[in-house]
Amino acid sequence: MKIRVETPHPDPLPASGERERASVPAEREAHRGELVVEHVFHGYAAAGREIDVLHDVSFRVEPGHVACVVGPSGCGKSTLLGLAAGLLRPSRGMLRFDGAQVALGRNPHLGMAFQQPGLFPWMSVRENVAIGLRTRGQSRRDARRVADEFLDTVGLADFRDAYPSQLSGGMAQRVGIARALALRPRLLLLDEPFAAVDAFTRLKLQQEFKALLRLNRPTVLFVTHDVPEAIALGDVIVVMTQRPASVQRIIPVAREDRDRASPAYARKLADTLACLGVTSDIQD
Amino acid sequence: MTRPRRLLARHVALPLVGVECVLAIWQATLAVYRLPAIVLPSPLAVAKTLVDLVQTAAFWRDVGVSLFEFVTGYAIGVVLGMFVGMLMGEARRFRMAATPVVESLRFVVPFAWIPLTILWFGTSYVGKILLVAYAVFFVMVVSTARAVAQVEPTLSRVGTMLGMSRWRLAWQVHLRAAAPTLASAARAAAAIGWIAVVAAEYVGASAGLGLMITNAATSLATSVVIGGMVVIGVIGAGVSAGIGVLARRWFDYR
Amino acid sequence: MATIANGAESAAAARLSPRATAWLLGCAGMLVALAVWTVLSRLFAHGGGVINRLPTPLAVARKLVAYAGNDLASDLLASLHVFAVGWLVGAASAALIGLVLGRSDWLGRIFLPIVEAIRPVSSIAWVPLAIVWFGFGLTSKVFLVGLAVFLVVIVYAVDGSRRVPADLERTATMLGMNDRQRFASLVLPGTLTEVLIGSRVALMSGWGTVIVAELVAADSGLGAHLIAVEQSYDVPAVMATMICFAATGFAMNAAFTWAERRMLPWRHDREREAT
Repeated sequence: MKIRVETPHPDPLPASGERERASVPAEREAHRGELVVEHVFHGYAAAGREIDVLHDVSFRVEPGHVACVVGPSGCGKSTLLGLAAGLLRPSRGMLRFDGAQVALGRNPHLGMAFQQPGLFPWMSVRENVAIGLRTRGQSRRDARRVADEFLDTVGLADFRDAYPSQLSGGMAQRVGIARALALRPRLLLLDEPFAAVDAFTRLKLQQEFKALLRLNRPTVLFVTHDVPEAIALGDVIVVMTQRPASVQRIIPVAREDRDRASPAYARKLADTLACLGVTSDIQD
Repeated sequence: MTRPRRLLARHVALPLVGVECVLAIWQATLAVYRLPAIVLPSPLAVAKTLVDLVQTAAFWRDVGVSLFEFVTGYAIGVVLGMFVGMLMGEARRFRMAATPVVESLRFVVPFAWIPLTILWFGTSYVGKILLVAYAVFFVMVVSTARAVAQVEPTLSRVGTMLGMSRWRLAWQVHLRAAAPTLASAARAAAAIGWIAVVAAEYVGASAGLGLMITNAATSLATSVVIGGMVVIGVIGAGVSAGIGVLARRWFDYR
Repeated sequence: MATIANGAESAAAARLSPRATAWLLGCAGMLVALAVWTVLSRLFAHGGGVINRLPTPLAVARKLVAYAGNDLASDLLASLHVFAVGWLVGAASAALIGLVLGRSDWLGRIFLPIVEAIRPVSSIAWVPLAIVWFGFGLTSKVFLVGLAVFLVVIVYAVDGSRRVPADLERTATMLGMNDRQRFASLVLPGTLTEVLIGSRVALMSGWGTVIVAELVAADSGLGAHLIAVEQSYDVPAVMATMICFAATGFAMNAAFTWAERRMLPWRHDREREAT
């Protein structure tokens, strides 16, 4: 499901967000790196009707953990991500990161990879990755150096000077991820980043993904429809219901669950699929 | 026939056949109806007139005046049109307020303004420049507003996520993304602007290509009239092509 | 932690529907424009500078009413007459010629480049020549309007005659239609549909050509009236006539778009021309 902004064209966002400051700096320190979603409701008006997307969503992600959000398609996972990114303001409820409310508009602590890669077609791949750094004040040379590093990490070093129109969908998506990672975000938001990639590449990227996170240890909110992927990557799986979505269950994932050869994995998979109303066993 | 020769035949030879046909019909009409030269001069006469014109200083002065009026008005119209168009594309409230005004003025075709510009500015070049600017402005405003509004929403979200201010987002992302569409609009605007100059000069001018042609028409120097039309067409096509080339080099990332 | 973002909810309740806001802001915009106009006319009232005599909106409105009670109907009819004839002639010939050139490979390659070469030379450029050839009467103006409409519609006609959707072609083959039936049931309707759409697009160029033709020939119609009041320095009347012209264009466009939507509900607009 695509992120739906309230108007057909992203409208005036205030130039500087208002941040709710926690009453005491020490309190903020205590919540550093923590993502809290608190009784969030969200809906928008379309074609004269109010469409409810999220209904009382609440969960917490520990600092440095990866939370994988799974659910039926169209249930509002992308909207949730948009709220966490400050692209939308929730109709009701609040999202907090680092102890402070997520501001509408620019949030320098976060990086996001969208479902459509959203690369600027007039810039080369390297420039696309570098632009975020330049916007945040780095010099051109530094930005390019960092961009090259991260392109290397996602395996696209050879395509530095290529243009987005020359890339396949999967490659463009990887550039998007490199772009988000290059910002060294403390909160990383990913919207089905591996969806457009073939199964083999996806497995490979999943393996590399954990390595990528080791650099920074950001808190990650990862939307996916692929349950095995959620188990492979997530420290916690947030299972959503159908629209209007709420949190059905929060399933913790332990180290031993990730081994696909283990019975623990099979149980975790069955568990999660059961939540989604799918039996893990296809009968004739 | 080998393939290249066949392609040549189709894309060059056949159109030439067409031109031949037209010229033949032209000559035939002359012969059959025995029309005097003041009604329909022969193709040769027109060609000769053109050669003569190209060697006259007065002709180039007229061309220069028309081009000056066009280029100045065009530049003003494009800049203002893109600016207002961007404003309309970015700020929803402004667009809603401005739309009725823009739409109603759009129906007052540039040509309808000609008498008014003559009343206000006389036959000087100021009126013509403003007329061209007006015509070009409206083409660009509508196209820019639409193009900016149709930029892929993901790009806007990416820009916001990367920390771009709204201003920067508009300039560096929306405008760049809309650039190819704007380039085509700029070409269309050039065609309309050029014709507006010519039309204005037909109605009332002190110098310029249009004046040269109307004078020729009054004195029934028809070969000059036709020659002038050819010049109008050539300049118009040249300007369009030139803008197309520039636009493709600067703005087309596809 | 201070207030929740509940503000959004109450704001939603207070917010008007998008259509109401559009109307409100649109009217506000018009009013602002009229206000600016009035202020400017006061500023320029004493003949200083280049724009002397900018009449107030009220003065223009008064002239409009006066004109309406006077010659407006006959002038308008004259202009519309010229337009209608020219438009019909242009559209019909474009439909016919476009059909032929579109379907015949050879004829198309021979003659279409010529049409493409002439197209940039707008019909406006032909005005002096038309006057030399046909004088100041109806014929020259019809020729000009016809030419303008022709040059626009022919592209649509050629496109329409060539572009029969592939699945319709396959259906025709499956039904065993011969060439003549195919022509009647596929090509002709397709061409006519495109011609209709092109004719609407050509409305504004045709109507604009009418005014230029009348400005130069100045014997009858709105354009002639425009020249007449211009020569008597009657600025409010000039503006009033311009408004008549624009309003007629708008009305025709609206009527046409409505008709087109009724007759061809399955087709969307192509490029909407700016003028």
